[in-house]
Amino acid sequence: MSKNSNSFIAPMSGSKIFLQQVLALLEKDLKTEWRTREIFTSMFVFAVLVVVVFNFAIGADPELIRQVASGVIWIALSFASVLGLQRTGRMESEEDSLQGVLLALHDRSALFIAKMLAQMLYLLMVVICILPLCGIWFRIDFLACIGELCLAFTLGMLGLSIVGTLFGMIALHTRAREVMLPLLFLPVSIPLTIAAVQATAQLIDGKSLRDIADYLVLIGIFDVVFFVLALIVFDYIVEE
Amino acid sequence: MQKWWTIMLFVMAFPFIYLCMNRVFHATVMCITMNVAIMLVFIYAPTEKVQGIVQKIFYFHVSSAITMFFAFFLVCVASIMYLWKNSDWWDAIALSAAEIGVVFCTLVLITGPLWARPIWGTWWSWDPTLTLTLVLWLIYVAYLMLRIEIYDPNRARFAAILGIIGFVDVPLIRWSVEKWRTLHPKPVLIQEGGTTGLTSAMLLTFLVCLGAFLLLFFYLLRERISIAQSRHALEVLRHEIDEIL
Amino acid sequence: MQNFWYVFIAYCTIWTALCMYMIRLSQKNKELQTELRDLRIQLERILTK
Repeated sequence: MSKNSNSFIAPMSGSKIFLQQVLALLEKDLKTEWRTREIFTSMFVFAVLVVVVFNFAIGADPELIRQVASGVIWIALSFASVLGLQRTGRMESEEDSLQGVLLALHDRSALFIAKMLAQMLYLLMVVICILPLCGIWFRIDFLACIGELCLAFTLGMLGLSIVGTLFGMIALHTRAREVMLPLLFLPVSIPLTIAAVQATAQLIDGKSLRDIADYLVLIGIFDVVFFVLALIVFDYIVEE
Repeated sequence: MQKWWTIMLFVMAFPFIYLCMNRVFHATVMCITMNVAIMLVFIYAPTEKVQGIVQKIFYFHVSSAITMFFAFFLVCVASIMYLWKNSDWWDAIALSAAEIGVVFCTLVLITGPLWARPIWGTWWSWDPTLTLTLVLWLIYVAYLMLRIEIYDPNRARFAAILGIIGFVDVPLIRWSVEKWRTLHPKPVLIQEGGTTGLTSAMLLTFLVCLGAFLLLFFYLLRERISIAQSRHALEVLRHEIDEIL
Repeated sequence: MQNFWYVFIAYCTIWTALCMYMIRLSQKNKELQTELRDLRIQLERILTK
């Protein structure tokens, strides 16, 4: 069993099978989701609700709203991410399909990577749908800095997915899993939230990529550190 | 002259640690050091002329903070050892260090604002260290909530993972809060005691306080570990009795 | 001396919290030790039957 934990540094022949397994798992998850689309819908609706409620809570001053827009979007994304993970977790435990999948896998971290990519795709879809709405409601022109925004959002959501999937799998085994997931996920991802909000806010203000380079580096380091950590500890999460 | 003192101190540390293995000796030394520390703080250390008497909180506030960081570092190390060796003793250390760490963390979060209010005029100022302490408090309270139920090897493993992640996150949190902080107005009077050059009397007082707190930490750690091990032994015994009956 | 109360509350809090925690720990320890002893006696009794 412990041999599998070092398989992610296996030679090339092993990595081809690895890639195939990741893609197969990803395809299975996406196909299931495409049939009902319930995870994406609930994430998107919840994100929209968060944005709208914040809008009312902050008040009518358009300048103020423009300043906090970045924070509101990222809060909406964090909470939507928690929601998506909870639904994924519930579906997994209802079907109890995890054990079968784990037995079939050559290297267990394939499951982690597949789940993480799935979560990231859901988040990307939510972002694509919600940015135009925010542009209209907050009167922000996102198209002016769309390239840099894409980079910032992709890096940020990668981080959210990595940490989220990791804690999602941990929370799956606890009794009060609805409570444990946000309790674990939100504090640990604070550096990501801080950097992502600042990067987005400055991009909206018209700063260039060079100005936000610090934040992007922080997010990048966060992503790399947690990805490596997740791969190392994943075996300990799923072993019985 | 200074060099001799440091060498002597370093050499004497090892038999001292060995003697402290005895619980009674440890407790006695701890009590004596604590009393000496209090005396030094209130009688020996000079009152700082800018901050006044409130500066005296600094001795216990920073000592608590350093002890807290050490406790969480111990959680991380013990968690790694637990995942590696799969021994319950390391798990007991991780749990105990986390619980005591949260206690000291709470103390830092209470004394911090009490120090900040008369100095800066505001209870909370989002300065990097205090914010880091707040985030660590959240993470390790979640750690304790994860362990709330009876001993369960699965639970211990997840908590170990959280223990490692929590500590690895520290530099990231610190860096991001510092960057975020540059956007906020700094408080009017920044006199964080540690950086504004302490006089030698203050430094001695601070070191004694730190020593007293570390001794206290290890004493509490002992007690808590023995509780964790007793609980585990109880579980095993109950299991045995159930199997026989 | 004008900020005396802050120092007083701070030190009171530290001491109360630490003392309460220490007392709770030693109480818990004593309880567990008695329970352990009782269970061990019970186990011996069952084994010798």
